Amino acid sequence: MRARSGSRRVALVLVTISTLVLAACGSDQPGGASGAATPSTTDQAAEEPNELLVLEWSGYEAEDFWADFAIERPETEVTFEFGDTDANILAQMQGGSQADIFHFYTGWQQFYVDQGLVREIDTSRLGYWDMVPDDMKALGQIDGKQYFVPWDWGFTSILYNTEQVPEVTSWDVLFDEQYAGHISMWNDGPAAVTVSSYVHGYDETAITDEQLAAIEEEWIAQKPLNVFYWSSEYEDLCPAVQDGTVWIAYAWQGCYATALAAGDPVAYATPEEGRNSWVGLYGISADTDSYELALEFVDLKLAELACGNAVTLFYYGCANEEIMAGIDDPILVEAFGLDDPSILESTNFTPLVTEEQREAWTAMWERVQAE
Amino acid sequence: MVGRRGLLKFVAGPPFLVLAAFLLVPLVLIAAFSFRAGSGALGPTDPWVPTVEQYAEALGTPAFMRRLGLSIVTAALVAGLATVLAYPVAYFLTFRAGSRAPLYLTLLLIPFAVSYLLRVMAWKVMLGPEGGINSLLSAVGLTEEPLQLLLYSRPAVIITLVYIWIPFAALPIYAAMQRIERHQLEAAADLGAGPWARFWRVTVPLSLPGTLVTFFMVFIPTIGEYVTPDLVGGTDGSMYGNIIQGFFTRSANWPMGAAMAMIMLVLTLVVVVVALRIIDLRRVTA
Repeated sequence: MRARSGSRRVALVLVTISTLVLAACGSDQPGGASGAATPSTTDQAAEEPNELLVLEWSGYEAEDFWADFAIERPETEVTFEFGDTDANILAQMQGGSQADIFHFYTGWQQFYVDQGLVREIDTSRLGYWDMVPDDMKALGQIDGKQYFVPWDWGFTSILYNTEQVPEVTSWDVLFDEQYAGHISMWNDGPAAVTVSSYVHGYDETAITDEQLAAIEEEWIAQKPLNVFYWSSEYEDLCPAVQDGTVWIAYAWQGCYATALAAGDPVAYATPEEGRNSWVGLYGISADTDSYELALEFVDLKLAELACGNAVTLFYYGCANEEIMAGIDDPILVEAFGLDDPSILESTNFTPLVTEEQREAWTAMWERVQAE
Repeated sequence: MVGRRGLLKFVAGPPFLVLAAFLLVPLVLIAAFSFRAGSGALGPTDPWVPTVEQYAEALGTPAFMRRLGLSIVTAALVAGLATVLAYPVAYFLTFRAGSRAPLYLTLLLIPFAVSYLLRVMAWKVMLGPEGGINSLLSAVGLTEEPLQLLLYSRPAVIITLVYIWIPFAALPIYAAMQRIERHQLEAAADLGAGPWARFWRVTVPLSLPGTLVTFFMVFIPTIGEYVTPDLVGGTDGSMYGNIIQGFFTRSANWPMGAAMAMIMLVLTLVVVVVALRIIDLRRVTA
């Protein structure tokens, strides 16, 4: 009898826990649906907590990247949490991240707006907004509303060791078997689809099921050629490029500039299919209690110190065109292709992808990983 | 006045609550996610529609199941090697270290004071093209070029994991050997058993429960390993845990990641139960 009573109690606890969990999962109220709410007033700003949580990519938490805000607001506590892919950043926001500000890259804008995760930006309150080129501003607009502030930008192309590899002219060098064991691809499904699209001339925004199946086979065959898939540009990729382990890599220009500045024998290809270009964007969470502070933070990201440091210390482009116009360091000129007036004509800008595409591409990449 | 049962509840209550809050609830949550329709990361307030779609996809994708099989084999290998290598350490501490045993035990536990990540990174340096092992091989003339397979390979994962586990693995075996009555060994000697016979017929059987606990203590968490393969495994050395991690992070597909985690959990339990039934501890130690 006592045993049965004990079992009932255990069952009751389990049922209660399950009920609580299911109840938590079961509500059909959309999360963070305030969408395009109007900005807070200055009075509201006074009531806001004097702290900010930023969902960032590892490395961007360095104070050099937000130096102007740190000087202007020394009393504000800025903390960071991290994601390592766009999917991961989105997942954290969907999963109820408490971040006031989040940082992601082109191609993923629509999801945040559709799911009510982002608040509209009142650009009239951004002091540095006029320094952002119009085509970059447009990247942060959905349905005519400004939801995102562009900040960092750069290229993706092939970084290669000039002592081991002759001039690279195509993205297909990533599939060249003679370099087996010395190649490194970024660990990201959409990036793999992008590369295959360039190589085969597919329309990246309209990949068919047959094309995706062919892409999957192609990357399964390519897998043994990699020494590893890299996840972090500065922790995984750059050290391996600099110590000679990796000869050919899918890479952003930051790693190229780092290796170049260190005197390593590297070059950054301008493939016949064109480089890829990306732009980083900041959004303010729909659920933030610190809208005014968040607005000030993203505004001051565009200021002289933060933008200048991004360019000179970390070799990323910045959306403040005055800063970019002032670049005269030959390594930076080379890294950004500023000496090549035709560079943008042969550059492929990252297009928006649909949720179905994202799911299919990422699932494809997990299958490649498992092979 | 608190009775004996009241005291038991008072003592056992907090650990039970901690386990319920931090083990049972997350487990139920993962199980719930695994049966939830749709992909993408799902917020706790999103609608919940049940489905077994994720299970069908996971079980129906040969690559995932092959990777799971490979992870089980790797985990068994790591557990076996760690146990075999930890056994002499435990034996030495119990029967040979004498009064210095506490000192050696403390030395054995020193690696726990260093972060797991640092220990793995140390092996990344050791196994690298200019690391200690390649330098040694080159210095003694065994190789002319650095061996690439040392790092970013499955052997690198196994070597690193075995190293990580050895100090931990020695403890249950040491505890089991501590319980061996010395007069049993003396009786065996009196009956004419030599050192080897005493070891094989007395020490090994009596320490077998601790040895098996060690094996499974290493085997179970190693199946789901993803940090070490991520750091030293390269494309060849990845494990099933890396795919689960990928679904939760790279792919932002929590239901699929949860389903794959549940499959691993169930399969691990089945493997352990079957293995324990086959081994039949009571018969072995009789």
